[in-house]
Amino acid sequence: MKKNRLGEFQELILMTVIVLQEEAYGVEIQRDLEARLNERLSVGAIQTALKRMEEKGFLTSEWGESTQKRGGKRKRIYQATPYAHRVLREMKDIRAQLWKAMPELGISKT
Amino acid sequence: MRPSDKHIIPPKWLLRLFIKKKYLEEIEGDMEERFQDNLERYSIRKARRLYAWDTLKLFRPLLMKNIGKDYQLNQYGMLKHNLVLALRNFKRYKTSFLINVIGLSTGLACTLLIYLWVNDELSVDKFHEKDIRLYQVMQNLQYGNGIETQDLTPAPLAKALLEEIPEVEYAVAVNDFFSLGSREGIFSYEDNRIEASGWFAGNDYFNVFSYDLIKGDRDHVLTDKSNVVISERLAKKIFGSTEGAIGETLEWNHSSFSNLFQVSGIFKNLPHHSTAQFDFLMSIEVLLDNDHWAKAWTGNYAETYLILREGTNVPAFNKKIANFLKSKDARLDDEFFNLFVQQYSRKYLYGQYQNGIPVGGRASNVKLFSIIAVFILLIACTNFVNLSTAQASRKMKEIGVKKAMGAKRKVLMTRFLIESILVVFISLLVAFLLVVLLLPVFNDITGKHIQPSFDFNHMLASCCIFILAVFISGAYPAFYLSGFSPITVLKGKFKTSTGGLWLRKSLVVFQFTLSIIFIVGLLIINQQIEFAQTKNMGYNRDNIIKFQWKGTLYNPWNGLRDGKSNIKFDAFMQALKEVRGVVNTTNMSGNILDKIVKQSDVSWRDQDSDRYFLFQSPVVGYDYLKTLGIELVAGRTFSKEHNDDYSKVILNAAAVKHMELENPIGRIIKMNGGSEIIGVVKDFHYGSLHNTIEPLIFRLEPHGRNILARIETGAEKATIKRIKELYMEFLLGYVFDFSFLDDDYQALYASEQRVAILSRYFAAVAIVISCLGLFGLAAFTTERRVKEIGIRKILGSGVFGIVRLLSSDFSKMVLIAIIIALPLSYITASRWLDSFAYRIDLQWWYFIGAGSLALLIACFTVGMQTIKAAKTNPVDCLRNE
Repeated sequence: MKKNRLGEFQELILMTVIVLQEEAYGVEIQRDLEARLNERLSVGAIQTALKRMEEKGFLTSEWGESTQKRGGKRKRIYQATPYAHRVLREMKDIRAQLWKAMPELGISKT
Repeated sequence: MRPSDKHIIPPKWLLRLFIKKKYLEEIEGDMEERFQDNLERYSIRKARRLYAWDTLKLFRPLLMKNIGKDYQLNQYGMLKHNLVLALRNFKRYKTSFLINVIGLSTGLACTLLIYLWVNDELSVDKFHEKDIRLYQVMQNLQYGNGIETQDLTPAPLAKALLEEIPEVEYAVAVNDFFSLGSREGIFSYEDNRIEASGWFAGNDYFNVFSYDLIKGDRDHVLTDKSNVVISERLAKKIFGSTEGAIGETLEWNHSSFSNLFQVSGIFKNLPHHSTAQFDFLMSIEVLLDNDHWAKAWTGNYAETYLILREGTNVPAFNKKIANFLKSKDARLDDEFFNLFVQQYSRKYLYGQYQNGIPVGGRASNVKLFSIIAVFILLIACTNFVNLSTAQASRKMKEIGVKKAMGAKRKVLMTRFLIESILVVFISLLVAFLLVVLLLPVFNDITGKHIQPSFDFNHMLASCCIFILAVFISGAYPAFYLSGFSPITVLKGKFKTSTGGLWLRKSLVVFQFTLSIIFIVGLLIINQQIEFAQTKNMGYNRDNIIKFQWKGTLYNPWNGLRDGKSNIKFDAFMQALKEVRGVVNTTNMSGNILDKIVKQSDVSWRDQDSDRYFLFQSPVVGYDYLKTLGIELVAGRTFSKEHNDDYSKVILNAAAVKHMELENPIGRIIKMNGGSEIIGVVKDFHYGSLHNTIEPLIFRLEPHGRNILARIETGAEKATIKRIKELYMEFLLGYVFDFSFLDDDYQALYASEQRVAILSRYFAAVAIVISCLGLFGLAAFTTERRVKEIGIRKILGSGVFGIVRLLSSDFSKMVLIAIIIALPLSYITASRWLDSFAYRIDLQWWYFIGAGSLALLIACFTVGMQTIKAAKTNPVDCLRNE
């Protein structure tokens, strides 16, 4: 697990890929995330994260349809691997445990 | 998609250039879709900008092609390998490593120091906010013997320009107290009496010049005549701190005017790289009140500074103001008086004018040293090139094996480049250390206040120097070494190609050529300065001290004729004569060494053309000729007994010649309403040797405030102390500043002295570095020919024969260097000497001397190595094979 740890940004993208299902290609992921995070992202940032995760085995990809808007270029549709699902779940559990273990500072003392 | 959108799609070739092929289609598509999205939302321009920004952000190693190849090399591993190899090489060949580092670091240190100096020179007066619009009004005066350019203008000019010429945003008149005789005065506050010197300035001074005001409003600090703006330093001296100084009243005592002033502002101490230096500012109105001549358009009483509005065309502006003075006073004929502006910050480097044409100034020194810096860097880098190509045989096997294993030339080049980068980097660190250590001495020599600092510009410059050094020293060896053919190299039949040898030799020749030029330069500068110091100037400046009477002094134009008298001054002069140790005393207005008073409007044949000739015309007191030892050829000197006054003059021989007078004594010339020539002196050099002796007229005025006293040798200190006591007794609170006339004379050559001292160091550095290189080369050759030497010795060759064999090559190179260097240095030297009106002749021995010196040093360097090699027992070098 240690070697293939997900970065925070990569995790967000991974989850977006799962949410978008068949529509999970570069720009769509970017659009979705930009709306959620409410900030501008660059194509470079998204692409690097996708490629990095594909290298690590979190994602697989295949060519999809091409549109005129893309200047006739095909989309590349990404899909999360079962391994990715497992890692995501593990991370969620770790987070949940940590949340539980945290004393309720700040909230209770107001 | 709109049909017109096609052409606004940004070019895609850029992406294709650097994105990995396998990602290209996807990313191109994404980028385009993104662009179309943005196009719907924003303007075309913004969409394009976002596209460009996104493209820039695609520069990520993961997405980019590997430059050149599409496969991945383990760059890190290679880097580590190369670094280790370089370090091992340094360890193994310590001598060549040390030679490289010592040579390069001294070279780099010199270059850095010169950079710091040049940078400092260039920054002088450049810090003003409105620098590009800050101009000074200059005046060209047309005389019979040429155009005289001066920075003084009439005092009312600033105001008139501001009112009448729309391009002028601000204008101020500035007077640095020069017209008041004495610059220093005394501020008293309670019991505190502090001497200070300041300037008069117009209202907007702080709007024109960006000196920081700690207290006070820059628009109003000088509005009132009773205002004074003082420096932080002065405030601390008077009040102890800058707090509570505003509004306090100071009593001002000066020889020309005394009054009460109110502190209206405090400015930060002026930076070192400001040529303007003053302790306080008063309103220019104070000057106009106290000297009624200053108000006139016919007098030049102030420097005028302007801020021109943005977009002003300066040549057009110059045309506009050229004849401005005539419109104010018809006497200021436009053929004779012409105004023009010069950018203020250029004054420092390019402020010299000759016959109305700018002739540069300090800039020539800046250029000279920049060139020297580049050459020193070149010499230092040359060493590295020489040693690494000469020692190619050491790396032969490595290159051969690597190439046989399939290493590309590029890889090998990287390997050698890394080695040179490392050497240069280490040298740079050593150089930094040297610079920090040497800076105090350097500041001392150059009279600068440079602090070692790590600001961005310095770092950038260091980076540039670093890259330059790496490039010069690393490029050729890397190219050369990586070019060996693996077969020949591995066979061991390696022989240095003649190309490499030729280059190496010419580099040594180049090094020595420069060194010899440096030596010749050094010799000639020192000879000329020696000449200037020992030349008989026609007067005796030994043991003369000079100081100024800072107290009140009346002359015929400001009150002496109205019944005022100089009782105190006369009493002081009388008392001074009686001080033990004082031989002779005299006094004068102005100076005899520099900026001598000049006089036109002299006529001797009743011809109008005479009037436009400009004479040197010092105004001196009694006993002047006697005190300075100026020789009288005819007539007599000024004397009290004859009741001489302003209507008597003494000429120098050049003036008599210029006026073509047969019997000058007793002639009346038209000058100040008729003056009688009572004496003629032999020509003497009044200024520095840069200037020729020009026609000169001595005028008499017994109330000059610059006092000259010749004192007895041997007891100077005690005598000066007695004079000081006397001075303090007469002028309470003033500081007794004195200087020896001889020191003042030396100061005329300050810039030459500086060049002389620096060139001494630079020449030494150049020679040392060159010798280091030669030493390295010699050591290496002897090492390689050790077997040959052994065999030769066995066959009966003597030590001398072997030394000759080994050093003949080097001597030849140095001889060629001498042949090239001599004409070059001859040209440079004569050009430099041309700036002196009186100069040494170039003697043949300067050149021969420099040449032989270089040859001697080279022989010595090589000799040490070769004699050692020649003396080795042949058994030692032939035994192991």
